[in-house]
Formats: sequence, C-alpha cells, structure tokens
Amino acid sequence: MTDQPRETHERWVLGTELTWAFGVGVLVAATISIIVFTALTLNINPPSNVERIDPKTLHLSGEFSEQNLGTLVAADGTVTARIIATQFAFVPHCIALPRGRPVTLRLASPDVIHGILITGTNVNTMVVPGYVAQVHTEFTKSGELLMPCHEYCGLGHSEMWATVQVLSAAEFKPDSDGRVSCARR
Amino acid sequence: MPVDQPRPAHNPLEESDIDEAALSTVLRTVPLGAAVLAGSAVALVVLGYLAIYLFVFLPRGIVG
Amino acid sequence: MRGVDRLCLAHLWLAFAAFVGAAVLGVWQMWVRSPLGAHTGTPGDYYMSVTAHGVAMAYVLSTFFIMGFGYFVAVTALQRPLPGQGWAWAAFVAGVIGVVMALVSIALGKASVLFTFYPPLTATPWFYIGLILVVAASWVWCVLMFVSMAAWKRKNPGRPVPLAMFGTVANALMWLWTTAGVAAELLYQVVPAAMGFVQTVDVGLSRTLFSWTLHAIVYFWLIPAYIAFYTMLPRAAGGRLYSDTMGRLTFIFFLIYSLPVGLHHLLMDPEHGNGTKFIQVLLTAFVAAPTVLTIFTIPASLEIAGRLRGGRGVFGWIAALPWDRPMVLASGLSFVMLGFGGLGGLINMAYGMNAMVHNTSWVTAHFHLIYGGTVVIMYFAIAYEIWPRLTGRQHESFSPLRWQLWLWFVGMMVMTLPWHWLGLQGQWRRVANFNYDNPIIASWGPLVIVSLAGGVLLLASALLFVRNLVVLHRSVQPAPTGPLYALAVVPPRHVPAALNGFGLWNVLVLASMLMAYGYPIAQFVIAPSPSAIVHRTE
Repeated sequence: MTDQPRETHERWVLGTELTWAFGVGVLVAATISIIVFTALTLNINPPSNVERIDPKTLHLSGEFSEQNLGTLVAADGTVTARIIATQFAFVPHCIALPRGRPVTLRLASPDVIHGILITGTNVNTMVVPGYVAQVHTEFTKSGELLMPCHEYCGLGHSEMWATVQVLSAAEFKPDSDGRVSCARR
Repeated sequence: MPVDQPRPAHNPLEESDIDEAALSTVLRTVPLGAAVLAGSAVALVVLGYLAIYLFVFLPRGIVG
Repeated sequence: MRGVDRLCLAHLWLAFAAFVGAAVLGVWQMWVRSPLGAHTGTPGDYYMSVTAHGVAMAYVLSTFFIMGFGYFVAVTALQRPLPGQGWAWAAFVAGVIGVVMALVSIALGKASVLFTFYPPLTATPWFYIGLILVVAASWVWCVLMFVSMAAWKRKNPGRPVPLAMFGTVANALMWLWTTAGVAAELLYQVVPAAMGFVQTVDVGLSRTLFSWTLHAIVYFWLIPAYIAFYTMLPRAAGGRLYSDTMGRLTFIFFLIYSLPVGLHHLLMDPEHGNGTKFIQVLLTAFVAAPTVLTIFTIPASLEIAGRLRGGRGVFGWIAALPWDRPMVLASGLSFVMLGFGGLGGLINMAYGMNAMVHNTSWVTAHFHLIYGGTVVIMYFAIAYEIWPRLTGRQHESFSPLRWQLWLWFVGMMVMTLPWHWLGLQGQWRRVANFNYDNPIIASWGPLVIVSLAGGVLLLASALLFVRNLVVLHRSVQPAPTGPLYALAVVPPRHVPAALNGFGLWNVLVLASMLMAYGYPIAQFVIAPSPSAIVHRTE
C-alpha cells in the first residue's frame, strides 16, 4: 500500500475508534454512577457485616444456642431471627417474621458452607462457617415464602429448606419472652 | 529508534486479496453501519439493565 | 506445520471427547431436575454427574482446546517451528494422567464436591492432584508460548508481533496470574486437608483464594474466541480488520482488568466488608471496556467486507456478508449470545443487585449462555477453520457445519432464557431433586421442561460437531492453502513496545493485585478465621 492512502486510513480509523472509546468511557462511568447512587442513597448493600464466630462451639452457648434460635422481639421492639444452617436442615425449620417492620436475620453454620435466599425478596446471603451472616430487610407482603439452602453442602442439599411466614401485625404476637413461632395453618 | 523494516519476503499467510482502491472507497462509509449496530446493541443492553433494576429488583424490597 | 499437527490434534480431540461426555451428563441432569424425571437416580448419582460435567466442561474442554489452539497459532502466525516440542508432549501426557485421575475419583464417588470444590467439603486427594497436574501442564504451555514469542522477536527486531500470537501470549500470562489463586488454595489448604495432615480449614481464606482465580479464568476461556474475531473472522468474511491497535488494546485490557475483580463472586459472603467489595465492583466495570470496544471494531471489520460485496445503506452490508461460511455464521450467532450474556453479567456484578440472583438458576443460565454459548460456539468455528490445516483435508460440504452451529445457538437460547427467568422466581442451584408437590416449585415445572428441550438440542449439536470432524478426517478434498489470518486496514509496520510486549502490563497487574487482594488475603494471615472442621465426602 502506498503511504498517502495509508495515512488517511490510519487517521480515520484512529478517529472513529477514539470517538467510540469516548462513548465507552461515558458508559462505564454511568454504570459506576448508578451503582454508587444506589449504595449511598437507598442504602442497598450486599450483606457485609464481618463478624466472626467459632463454628465448632457456636451451638454450645451464647447467641446461637438452641433455646435462643428463632424470632425474638427485643424490649426496644427490634425483631431479630437467629437461624442455624447445618447439614441438612435449618433450625428452626419455620421462621415467623412481621410484615412492614425492619427485621434482622442472623445465620451461622457449625459445619460447611450453606447459603439462603427468600423467594420473592432480595434477601440473599452465604453462610460461611467462621462468620455470622446478617441481612436487614423489610417484608412488604404477607404470605408463606421458601427459604432454601442455595449453596451445595453435600448429598442432602436438595432437601434443605425452611419456610418463612410473613405475618400481619394481628398475627405476629410475641409471647412473654418476646419469642414468635410460626402460626399453625 | 528502530528503522522501518521493508515488508518481509512472500509470506503465504499474509497476502492481501483486496483491491486497495475498493478498500478506500468503502472506507468513506465504514464505520457508520457498525456504529449504528453497536450503538443500538449497547443501548438495548443499558435499557434492559435499567428495566430490570427498576421493575424487578427495587420492588422486591430494600436489603442491607 | 508437520511437527505440531499431531500435538494440536491430540489436545483438541481430548478436549472434545470430554465435551461430548459432559454433554450427555448435562442432559441427564436436566431430565432429573424436571418433572418428567423427578426421583430418577439418587443424589449421589446426581452430584457425581454435576462434578464430572463441571470438571469436563470448565477444566478439560477449555484448557486442552486453548493449549492446542495456542500451539497452532505459535507455529502458523509466527511462521516458525514450535520450540520445546518434547516439553509440550510431556505436558500433554501429564495432563492426560491428571484428567484420568480426576475423572476416576469422581466416578468412584470419592469427589462429589463439584468443580468449585468449596472446602470444608473435601474429596479424595487424588481428585485435587489430578487437577493440579492439568494446571501444571498448562503452565508448561504458557512458558512455551512466551519462549516462542521471545524467539520470534529476537529474529524480527522492531516488527510487530502478529496479533494472533500477541493475544495468545496475553492469555497465557493472564492464566499464570490467575491460577496462582487456586494453586495456593489447593496446595496450602485443600490437599493437606484431603491427606489428613490438618483437621480444620480457614474457609474465609479458601473462598478468597478461589475467587482470585474465578473471574480471570472465564476470560482465559473467552480470549481465544476474541483471537478468532480479530484475526480469523475478517479474513473469512473477505474484509480487513478495522484496527490492529484495538486488537492489541483489547488483549491488554483483558490482562489488566480481569484479575483484580474476583471478589465480585463473593458479594454475598460475610467474610469481607463493603469497602473491599465495592472497590472490586468498580474495577469490574472496567473489564466491560474491551468487550464494548470489540463490539464496534469487529462489526466495522465486517462492514468493510459487506460493503466490498455490494452491501448498501446503513444495514445492507449485514445481509451481504458470506453467512454460508461457518466462521462468519458462528461469529454472528456468538455476538447475539454475547448481548444477552453480557446483560446478565452486568446485573451479576451490580453490587446490591447481586442479591436478586446469587446462587439462583440465573447464575447457572448466565454462564451456560456466555461460556457454553458465546465462547464454545467460537471453539467450534476455530476447530472447523484450523482442522483442514492440521489434516491437509477440506470439509466436503459446509452445510452440516452450519446445521450444527444453528442447532447449538437455538438449543442454547431455548435452554438458558427460561432458566434466567426461573432464577428470578427464586429457583436455586445444585438441586438433585425438586419437590414438585410444593406449589411454588410446581409453577416452575413447565419452564424446566422447556430448558430440558434446549439441552437435548445441544446434545444433538455436540454429536453432529464430532461427526463433522470425523468426516473431515476421511475427506478427499485438499485443504485450502491461502492465508488464514486477517490483514488490518492499516497493517502495522511498527508498534510501540507497550503494544508489542507485556513488561509494563505485568508491573501493572502486580500493583493492581496488591491493591485489590492485598488486604483481603493478608487479613486471614494476620488473624485467621475461626476454622471449620474438614468434612470428607468420600
């Protein structure tokens, strides 16, 4: 190829590529902005409460001992559900939570990696042995939702799921200790 | 500064099979079609992303 | 060419043999998950199958295809014999031994830990040693790619490295960097646990080390497809590559941006905080850049070809392209799947929005579409293109090749699009048996059956692919001898050193990995997580 058309082509190619690259730059910046915007204004974050706990002893005493599992309404009105994920069940198997109030879910595993989602919601977290997984949310509709274990945890993984009962204010009645169990249906 | 090397001896895997004049002609229009096609595709992906964000994700509730 | 023919064919046949076996298993898995096959087989059978399917598709098909293609490029693009062929063959043998060890372990039921093998679930050590052998073989390949390029540069001072080799070496370098994570996890944590030297494992550390590998590995799989887009497709279409420089930049951007982002696979994990997750999400936004540059540069290259063939108007050049040629057809179908797969990927990485999809079928659908679809269809196209050069024979007809590619595309879309939807409904992953008595799960049944139908089409396509290659081996038509690689609109005579080598970029990768992964890993060294007990699955 002679040099004259070569230089013309070179300039044209470079110019058009830079124009498109500028557009790409704007797009990348826009994507980042949307993500930053959401995180800051709506406080939407992935579950990131880094809190350690010893999987080998968590069931013996303290927060995740068996009598402390399930939903508890504290004296100040905050609602917390504590759940153990273990091969191959959630304890408790049914969790009662209120509609229209902020709730906190705290999960721990004494054995292998598990994970949960709650169908129809954005509740989703891994449950990694060594750490307490914590999710804050607010349920907008009552009903019965599925909470399966969504990370492979061994041969019984397919059978590992819990039920979440989202109860209206009328049905969500703590007992004298502040505990709430699933309503009989 | 390395000197420009002359084009190497006949390399059968690097022959041009395009008429240079024809190439110059089409390069007056290219990359208009590509820009429209790629731009439309990117626009669709961005719209799809925003739609899922607004109409599927946000209605499911705030999580933190 | 003679010397490497057998070497390349050996790698490619191993890759595709694993591929077909895994495709059969995949259909069985889809069957068992559907209402039609519910309660067929045990969970033990299912998870054995999933482990074999994942290992074969993610580790065997990919690695051996890329090695075989790499040896081909090193010889044909650089026009010189492959250095160290003895080493290459030794590596292949080691790799085969590794594959056999891994597959036998799985078949004996001693390694049902899936291809992600998250500790503390622990398999027999032979499974991991098998995988380590495969990775070691690939590291030998990496070194041979570097040696090849370095030798060519010494013999051709000042000249630009041919783009196909530049991309191959970028890929090899990226592979070395990314396998460091899983190698550390296996050698430091998993194999000692599997052998019984330690009884507990730091799961926070193992998740983090694996995540180091998890993202760039998919770009390792992807880059050969991009090598075909940039260096083979424009020639096959009868045009020119719009910009050689963009090709180089694309491979460089993949090298530097695909590594420090692995934490976006751990967005739902409790062992890392918002800060580190957010930084890596920001970095992930950058790795979209090389793809967005490519979706302009490659259509521009095709537009040249289309207009040279008489296409007019804004879109007329598209119809004018030679769609009867397998490389052109496969690339077009690949780009369509890239659109959907790319959208899925953008949603996965979007920080809080990941909560909507993590560990649901959306994720499974996404990576089947983007890897099984966008990438593997190009593996077919590359195979169809280079097999004649390797065997000296040409395909007698392109029609079965086109049928096979269309079947793959349709099957992949039918399988994965409903699967994405099911993920949004909450269908979760890695389930051997769905309880279709549950009303929520029952509502998913019809779409699961549609996905199954897609899977059956894919199996048909896989079998047709192998048939097409077997037939080629017996063809009487002589192979084409014309040029294989594309010329650029402005063939480069000289490129800056930064676009002709990787010294600078290596330093950048080191710096970015220190910044992105420095603290996330160091925190476990300074203060190990409360450890979990090793849980043997054998």
